[in-house]
Amino acid sequence: MTEQDILAVLSRILGELLGDDAIALAMTTTREDVPGWDSFAYINFIVGAETEFGVKFKVAEVESFPDVGAIVRAIQAKGPPLHPAP
Amino acid sequence: MLFNSYAFIFGFLPVALAGFYGLGRVRRAWAILWLIAVSIGFYAWWRPLNVLLIAPSILINYALARVLQRYGDSRPGLSRAALLGGIGFNVVFLGYFKYLTFLESTVNDVFSAHLVLTHVILPLGISFITFQKIAFLIDVQAGRIKEFTLRDYVLFVLFFPQLVAGPIVHYREMMPQFHAASTRFDAGDAAVGISLFSFGLFKKVVFADTIALYVTPVYAAAASGRPPGLFDAWLAALGFTLQVYFDFSGYTDMALGLARFFGVRLPMNFNSPLKARNIIDFWLRWHITLTRFLTAYIYNPLSLALTRRRVARGRPVLGRQASLSAFLTLLLFPTVLTMFISGLWHGAGYTFILWGLLHGVYLSVNHAWRLARQHLFPQLNAYARAARPLGWALTFVAVVVSMALFRAPSVAAAVTLWRGMAGGFGADMPNAVLLHLGGLTAWLRAAGIAGSLTSGSAFVHGWLWIAAALGLALLAPNTLEILAPYAPALGVKPRAGAAPWLSWRPSAGWAVALALVSAVGILSLGQLSTFIYWQF
Repeated sequence: MTEQDILAVLSRILGELLGDDAIALAMTTTREDVPGWDSFAYINFIVGAETEFGVKFKVAEVESFPDVGAIVRAIQAKGPPLHPAP
Repeated sequence: MLFNSYAFIFGFLPVALAGFYGLGRVRRAWAILWLIAVSIGFYAWWRPLNVLLIAPSILINYALARVLQRYGDSRPGLSRAALLGGIGFNVVFLGYFKYLTFLESTVNDVFSAHLVLTHVILPLGISFITFQKIAFLIDVQAGRIKEFTLRDYVLFVLFFPQLVAGPIVHYREMMPQFHAASTRFDAGDAAVGISLFSFGLFKKVVFADTIALYVTPVYAAAASGRPPGLFDAWLAALGFTLQVYFDFSGYTDMALGLARFFGVRLPMNFNSPLKARNIIDFWLRWHITLTRFLTAYIYNPLSLALTRRRVARGRPVLGRQASLSAFLTLLLFPTVLTMFISGLWHGAGYTFILWGLLHGVYLSVNHAWRLARQHLFPQLNAYARAARPLGWALTFVAVVVSMALFRAPSVAAAVTLWRGMAGGFGADMPNAVLLHLGGLTAWLRAAGIAGSLTSGSAFVHGWLWIAAALGLALLAPNTLEILAPYAPALGVKPRAGAAPWLSWRPSAGWAVALALVSAVGILSLGQLSTFIYWQF
């Protein structure tokens, strides 16, 4: 999957969690850039992404992703070429 | 040796710096060994036995880390056992010194037993040191720390600027700095260092110590069964909140400044917490490195495991279809448990445990509100504008209320103070004040405020100090904002600075201002007063 495909899915997951459909994540987005993206929403987001892409992150990874781009790259590295649910 | 003592400022620190820069000119490794030696001396100053207690713990942790490093990939079973053994060892080590007596007295309370209490003297800073060691083991096991030496590990654990009360640092953010830092005197680092130290000293000895004079008697009275009236109760509650902020953030500024003398930046620990607009925001601004530790090593793994398990069972998680059971298991439980551990970490006592639980509940309510808000007020921007002042006020009062548990010697004393704050013991102010308020006097009397024979000047001075401290905490830029362009701490954004005229520069004006700040700080050193967080 391309970066853009993954970003679109991640944006949808976070948008549903925070109740804000306008959220559009970019590779350089950090948690500080998105109001309300607290530690709780972050864990939910990570598990949402794991489920969607069929991957599993290590706890140490989860804590140290510096930005959304790092998550996208981790998904690309781990993930089988899945077709996410529409 | 306290940072705010003549012995430290005029004895220990000049010797430590002269040795470091002097040896650093000859050979870098000698400067690092010198820094380790003076750190051991700093720690031994209180009780030489402390060093003998901490030394085996350092060696055991180091040995376990070596096992983790060597067998992390090849033998996962052994690596896991070493990690769990290491965490267990550190927790038991801390537990023996910090919680044994509390555990015994709790057993006595609950089972009416008569255990003889063991009196253990707490090695200084053990709570902070223990957390750093645990984080180090986890980071080695996770592969986030690839290489380390005994010398570097000892320096990481004992580096004297942050040895006793943090900031709680990571090996991976400290060691690259020690390796890269110049061991020669650097005028720029020294200027920033001395500025941070002076600001911190001023916050501690001028604000925290003075406000303590007005806070202490009220808590002492509440503990001995003399209930405080409305004004005294609020004076003590507001006063202690400000005292602990100026005390701990003052200590932290001093620690940041001291580290900077050695070319090292410590992580940001405070970011104007009393300006927070909600309690989640408060914990991202107050004791930041503790929040970071608790989130990374307790909350995240716990919450991740719970959420994954729920998803695997096909049950809804929180989002737009929030349910009560999801809220309880995924939010309330991990949050309250994490803050319970935080409370217990601060001190072995029911007051600290309740303080932690209360903040766990606060945070859960805040999260629940964020979920409910999505349904109640879908227009985020309009909502945010209206809710900001309200959110600030609610957060501030919640923090002030919780701090009574942090200060009171017993839960009963905290409850007494709360009753006083709610007006349960009436409201009185000194006649010397009440009778000189012109038209307001009759109005206040009609509102039920009685006159008392207590000191009018103490009343006025106490409230003036609180007003001044509150003004500074709420309206002024903080130390890190003032110094932002010079990267005073890790995590400070250079552009998040203060207004230009309040922005630190190496100029004559700032030199005069800082000379005044440090002179007042040093001249106020009269009485020996320890930092609140040094007891943890």
